[in-house]
Amino acid sequence: MPRPKRPGEAQDVGAFPPAEAGITVVDWIDERTSLSPGIRWMLFRKVPKGINWAYTLGSATLFAFLAQAVTGVFLAMYYRPDAAGGAYESIRYITDDAFLGQFVRGMHKWGASVMIILIFLHMARVFFYGAYKYPRELTWIIGVVLLILTLVMGFTGYLLPFDQRAYWATIVGVNINGTGPFVGPFLSDFLRAGPEFGATTLSRFYAIHMLLVPGAIGALIGAHLYLVSKLGITAPPWLKAEPEPELLEHSEV
Amino acid sequence: MPGTFEGETVNRRRFMNLVTNGAGGVAAVAITLPVLGFAAGPIFSRVPFEWQTIGMPADFPKSTYQTRVVEIVQGIGEAGKTTAYVRARDPSIDTEPEDQYNQFVALSSRCMHLGCPVRFVAAAERFICPCHGGVYDFRGMVAGGPPVRPLDRFYTRLKDGYVQIGPRYSVNSELRRFSPRDPGEPLDGVGQYLYPARFSTSQIPQS
Amino acid sequence: MNQAQKEQYLREYSILKSQGKPFFPYAVAKDSIMAMIVILVIIFLALMFGAEIAPKADPTTTTYVPRPDWYYFFLFEVLRVMKNVPKFTPMATIGVPTICMILLFLLPFYDRSPERRIERRPIALAAGITTIAAMAFLTYSGANTGSPNSVDLQPPSSLSASQAQMFRAGELVVGESGCLACHVIGDNGNNGPGPVLTHIGSKLPSQAIASTLRNPTPPMPSFRNLAAQSPQKFQQLVGFLSELQ
Repeated sequence: MPRPKRPGEAQDVGAFPPAEAGITVVDWIDERTSLSPGIRWMLFRKVPKGINWAYTLGSATLFAFLAQAVTGVFLAMYYRPDAAGGAYESIRYITDDAFLGQFVRGMHKWGASVMIILIFLHMARVFFYGAYKYPRELTWIIGVVLLILTLVMGFTGYLLPFDQRAYWATIVGVNINGTGPFVGPFLSDFLRAGPEFGATTLSRFYAIHMLLVPGAIGALIGAHLYLVSKLGITAPPWLKAEPEPELLEHSEV
Repeated sequence: MPGTFEGETVNRRRFMNLVTNGAGGVAAVAITLPVLGFAAGPIFSRVPFEWQTIGMPADFPKSTYQTRVVEIVQGIGEAGKTTAYVRARDPSIDTEPEDQYNQFVALSSRCMHLGCPVRFVAAAERFICPCHGGVYDFRGMVAGGPPVRPLDRFYTRLKDGYVQIGPRYSVNSELRRFSPRDPGEPLDGVGQYLYPARFSTSQIPQS
Repeated sequence: MNQAQKEQYLREYSILKSQGKPFFPYAVAKDSIMAMIVILVIIFLALMFGAEIAPKADPTTTTYVPRPDWYYFFLFEVLRVMKNVPKFTPMATIGVPTICMILLFLLPFYDRSPERRIERRPIALAAGITTIAAMAFLTYSGANTGSPNSVDLQPPSSLSASQAQMFRAGELVVGESGCLACHVIGDNGNNGPGPVLTHIGSKLPSQAIASTLRNPTPPMPSFRNLAAQSPQKFQQLVGFLSELQ
């Protein structure tokens, strides 16, 4: 091991060229976290042959969720959950006055529709390929929970602009919840924070929309992805597994 | 059990397991229960209500409805108001027993299917809901479509020569009064037990 | 699936997997292209259609016609279809969606056959296609449901200018009189309890229409008051209805 350099001694530039700085940083982190085996396991696992474009729908849904998260965080910088008029006014400001406001709000609004379409397409692919069968049952169940949570996002997010459409859609939605026997009336009281649409209904929906459900979705996406990596992506069901020739020879011997 | 003294049932390892599960459980419950109670609190707190003056008795004929805007939630401006359709009681058509609270019939504008705003159509003497096509007759009874019970009503009273409007109540198809339910909850037969009264709805004030 | 079938599947899968390619970069490349397409589509939609904002929320309105976002159209349509059976309203609102979600949730538990090729799973194929068709149909008809407070019909081209004006005026009267709560006219209105009025002009002469409006069969309300108070509106109403050939 070479002797450490003393301060003031000539710097040995050649041993530490700038081009390798990036690698050095990665090595420094890896030495402390040992993340690289996990990343290697995730990235360089094999996917079965024959996968096609339909297999990208899941990651496309994930990407749409990330786009929603990013645009949502930035919309929250301007939004005020105030039923007395502030909510509508802040949305009107975003839409009409803020620089790129209508564009970012448009991306969030249309991103929601795109995400829901992608979820349904992804689910249809999984259904028709029989990919929910052994050993991937738990992946499917987590996926259904993610679908429900996404619909909850659609429902809670719809109220936030606080215009006529938002208000009445929410009234109807909350009343639909209320028609469940025994628990329904209390569930709709819980959603509204009271017997009528009141002062804290909007902030309640806002907290659910931007903190509670996105957190749950993020955690469940993590579990979903872990299971996908661990169990492997399904092969297209029409592919027949043919053992490698050398394996066949071995078994005949 | 290995590592255990004679007759000992709780050894060191089992004790530590119990401590881990117990302390962890207590910590989780201690954070979860208060916040859930905090979020669910509004279910159990009763909303206060004030009588609101809506006009003179002469303003409300028997033959048609006047619309009046009523505040049902204080402090949020426009978002806390609703519309009531008000007329004077007409003994020839209003067969429900008369008392001090129904000298004026005040119908809520919420459709009893899912809460959309109903519109009074004077030409047809009908209330019509634009969402799924609920129809109510002049007295607010269901005349067609999906609504599960007649239109909700408000208590009204005469005080110092003015008509005042009070809290909302629900009625079943015989116009029996019930504490206010949400739309979509039938009150006939077992309905009143399937959809129990809530703790949060305003009670009629004693005065 | 029994133990032998499970092992058989895992064996076949590991062979297929060993013949495959690494996830990075072969699968990731497709995923990235797809991600790019997704964001471009979102940006395109945002630029094309923007984000409009409706009038401020007004709980006191009596004229607003609420409609849900498109991905709840199917539920909206279920509620509309179930409207003639008030007893089953809670079933339509809560029952149907809950049952669908439970069926979806438990799918891997009741479909336990080892077969994965869709052409050899006739029940799954039929159920899947039926679900997709039903959702598409309900969404489509939910999207095309007109308001029950107005009629959207073009006057027949055979009408003269003044008759066409009468037609338009009558349309308005029909909308504000609430006829569509019980009658269908064209694409608007509720089917029942009243009869369909789309072709009423070819079935009844205008005098018969006018007398029916004055003295209807219950539960239809009488329009005698309208005829007495604003005869012009009543004439427009009768004129419009008798032009519905």
